[in-house]
Amino acid sequence: MGDRRVEKGIKRGQSLEIQVDGEKVTAFQGETIAAALTASGRRTFRRTKKKNEPRGMYCGIGLCFECRMEINGVPNTRACQTLVTPGCQVKTNDRPDQTEDEL
Amino acid sequence: MKEVELLIIGAGPAGMSAAIEAVKAGVKVTMLDENSLAGGQIFRQFHDGFHVTDPKALGHDYKRGQTLISEFEDIKNDVEYLDACLSWGFFENNEIAFLRNENSQSFRFHKLIISTGAYDRPVPFPGWTLPGILTAGGAQRLVKNQQVLPGENILLVGSGPLQLALASQILKIGGKVAGIVEAGRVENWGELARASWGQWTLLADAAHYFWKIGKARIPFLRNHIIVEARGNGQVEEAIIAEVDKNWRPKPGTEKVFKVDTVAVGYGFIPSTELTQMAGCQHRYDPLLGGWIVDRMENMGTSLPDVFAAGDCTGVAGSLVATDEGRIAGLAVAQTLGNLTKQEARQRMHPYRKSLARSKKFRKVMDAISLPRPGLYELAQKDTMICRCREIALGEIQEILQEEIKDINEIKRRLGIGMGPCQGRMCESAILAIVAKHKKISPADLGFLNPRPPLKPVLLSALADHTQL
Repeated sequence: MGDRRVEKGIKRGQSLEIQVDGEKVTAFQGETIAAALTASGRRTFRRTKKKNEPRGMYCGIGLCFECRMEINGVPNTRACQTLVTPGCQVKTNDRPDQTEDEL
Repeated sequence: MKEVELLIIGAGPAGMSAAIEAVKAGVKVTMLDENSLAGGQIFRQFHDGFHVTDPKALGHDYKRGQTLISEFEDIKNDVEYLDACLSWGFFENNEIAFLRNENSQSFRFHKLIISTGAYDRPVPFPGWTLPGILTAGGAQRLVKNQQVLPGENILLVGSGPLQLALASQILKIGGKVAGIVEAGRVENWGELARASWGQWTLLADAAHYFWKIGKARIPFLRNHIIVEARGNGQVEEAIIAEVDKNWRPKPGTEKVFKVDTVAVGYGFIPSTELTQMAGCQHRYDPLLGGWIVDRMENMGTSLPDVFAAGDCTGVAGSLVATDEGRIAGLAVAQTLGNLTKQEARQRMHPYRKSLARSKKFRKVMDAISLPRPGLYELAQKDTMICRCREIALGEIQEILQEEIKDINEIKRRLGIGMGPCQGRMCESAILAIVAKHKKISPADLGFLNPRPPLKPVLLSALADHTQL
């Protein structure tokens, strides 16, 4: 799947690399993790606890928490509200989501 | 606890406008905003890293935002501005608790302006949780603010003007729009034409959008809604159907769109959590998005120290939010004694006038895109209603066999509205489902009582809550 980035009237920041489930993904300074994942064609950000269903970004503005991932070791972090940093570690929340009840 | 003269929560068009007028009148302003940059959803700024090389290419919305943001920047030195700040609770004696940099603390305000905006109306239909299906607002943020296309082939479904704006923005950055599926119905074109007279800014926007969409030959299907999405692991097909005037699908009219992305936009729901938690009086107005706070002409609520402005008080868009914010800022300046009644009235005059002008147009537009009952009848027994706790329609229907007095009883029984989204994604659907079952108005069911924290906050932060 091709890159979905565009540059119309803007220039992107410096390119950097993030790690998604151990794979290297290119991102640019100023992007959210959700945007970087979307640009690389990734859409499943976590799987649900009860039915193991795939979920991706839904509201996109930090309210629904569907895009919660493990980011730099912190579980249940919203990918749509978190900016990329060089080398940041992103993991699909694919294990039973035990911490949800503690939120 | 630190005391502040005027606390403004939310730095979108309403909050920024309120701050501008209050500061100019000599009020000491403290502002809390959840994002790292002012602007709100509509005027969201590019994050550090992005450089704007050609503002014209970003469209008139961007320019409008920049004009207001630069006016706000001019007074921002006089504002105590706390960014990346989550306001999570309203407590007795004018206390607002908030979280910033993982530290939780409280301010005590003399006056408060709540301008927390609105969010896309979530609508459950079979398959709506598949990756690749996102809200129109979420898609718009990706397109406008990150310049990332949400997918290769995007279907827009919903009602109202944002659909046109989004289609035009996707086309502008070279994306592919598979079609626009519009549920709204214009019953009376004459009335629409009369109400539109004088709304030149909005009409010019609409003309531009239609021109752009027409030129690209995008299929535009009126009186249609999405009834189902299918796919293995992500959306692959969207099923749409023609609807009657109650937005109920007509059997046999189904069409299949092969797409990898669906942006869903059925208008917005006001963010009323704070006005509700504060205990302000609310009323139910479906035309304005559901439960909304009662206000006086000066944007004051039923609580003497609490004002509210913009989309969180009933969805009406950024132009109205700006006018309301300015009036709220001036009203607070007056109640604090910084302006005489005469001065305040004089300064409010142009904004009152522009509000009055847009009122009729808003009413007609709202009536066109007002969700009809069929919209909330699409879910099947196994369709998730509560995304957080994975509660399907069937489980709610079982509870409904028993006597249910209000929506909070369902919350207690099923845990709905207690997950991370705190009911924002399911409340409107549950109200509609229960109201239909009981054959009453959603207004008679109340709303989910917002409880602190309004959004998930780490328990460790709460344990260390400091009362400075």
